[in-house]
Amino acid sequence: MRKTLSFQPYFCPMDQIIALIKKDLLVDFRQKYVVAGIALYVFATIYIAYLAFNNVITPAIWNALFWLILLFSSITGLGKSFGQEAHRSHYYYYLAKPVHILTSKLIYYGFYEILLVVLLTGIFNLFLGFPVENPSLFLVNLLAGASGLSVCFTLIASIAAKSDNGSHLMPILAFPVIIPVLLLAVTNSRKIVFGASLADISGNLWVLVCFNVIIIALSFILFPYSWKN
Amino acid sequence: MKYLMKAYWWKLLTVILLIYTVIGGFLMPAPRLPILNETIRILHFHVPMWFGMIIMFLVSVFYAIKYLSTKNLMYDLYAEQLVNIGVMFGVLGIVSGMIWAKFTWGESWSNDPKQNASAVALLIYFALIILRESLQDDHQKARLGAVYNIFAFAVLIPLLFVLPRMTDSLHPGNGGNPAFGQYDLDSDLRMVFYPAVLGWTFLGFWMATLKIRAARLQKHLDYE
Repeated sequence: MRKTLSFQPYFCPMDQIIALIKKDLLVDFRQKYVVAGIALYVFATIYIAYLAFNNVITPAIWNALFWLILLFSSITGLGKSFGQEAHRSHYYYYLAKPVHILTSKLIYYGFYEILLVVLLTGIFNLFLGFPVENPSLFLVNLLAGASGLSVCFTLIASIAAKSDNGSHLMPILAFPVIIPVLLLAVTNSRKIVFGASLADISGNLWVLVCFNVIIIALSFILFPYSWKN
Repeated sequence: MKYLMKAYWWKLLTVILLIYTVIGGFLMPAPRLPILNETIRILHFHVPMWFGMIIMFLVSVFYAIKYLSTKNLMYDLYAEQLVNIGVMFGVLGIVSGMIWAKFTWGESWSNDPKQNASAVALLIYFALIILRESLQDDHQKARLGAVYNIFAFAVLIPLLFVLPRMTDSLHPGNGGNPAFGQYDLDSDLRMVFYPAVLGWTFLGFWMATLKIRAARLQKHLDYE
């Protein structure tokens, strides 16, 4: 019996998405200094905050600092998501559907953001303490806020990467649109630090989750246009 | 927009409405309210700016979507100029609001959620203008501008209409303060306020059509 074609193009969307995620992992593995640089960025920023706010830190300031540093390290970490292999992106125009590319990027950079949050929380705990009355609720809110950050920054990075100086454009484009997410998450977080329960913040938390869903839906609608050249 | 660029009647209407607004706004009876006093007359100039801005951004998003589906650069020009005029209205709205706030709330900027939200809204649209300037290719400029425009508008809606309502605000209609139209917007004010909204919004569209014409002429000159 004749063997069918040994080379099969990717038909199943799941296969394609997994292959793209593996590809992103490989790119980061080959350029380990980028990831190490982001880890160093997080560490250095927290250490500067530790030295600058020595002994004057209150729970309210701790909360504001936590979100500020998360914002800046996320934008440094996720801003690279599309610029990293811009010279190779022409291959992907032909090989993959934009929807699959976006899905793989969202999944990969979602995990990336979670790692960033874990690292940040760990170092914060070490140097600046963890003055939270309700840690599990804090983490739930943190996860909701961080997923908003990662989705929003991924879409903005795909826009900024098309410009000649994308790294300068990234914060300009991303900071204004992320403010609603940040506003809700920081307000919730401040209440949690001072011992609020789930019932106190559920309204805000739902708005935050709905907002995330809107951003994800919009990303899938708009990404094919920002991706094509 | 195409119709507005050809028709004349609405320009005449704009002139009449705005003359009426200025005369009526300053001379017609206004309710005497504590703290507000005569400053309530700025209502006819401050609030229509926000109405005009939102309407222009909305129409701009409509043309951004139309550009993405047809790739006709004309629609992109409409979207671009409407955003420019919308931002101008927003700046005027914020400045007039600050003047009003100085006399009634005591401070030009008093950390009011609506003030903050409108400042962020302007930041978003300034970012859109910078993004467009940073790209060279016309089609790329139009496409990425349209994508960011749609995204920005989707963020703007919760920012201006949902979040301020969840916290206390000095503006009427938010966080326990009485809403617009319950008692402070009485029939005397309405007589001028609604024509004012219409008049200022039309004026914005008039300015946008002029800018579109100028941009088209400029393009013709560049090609020759």
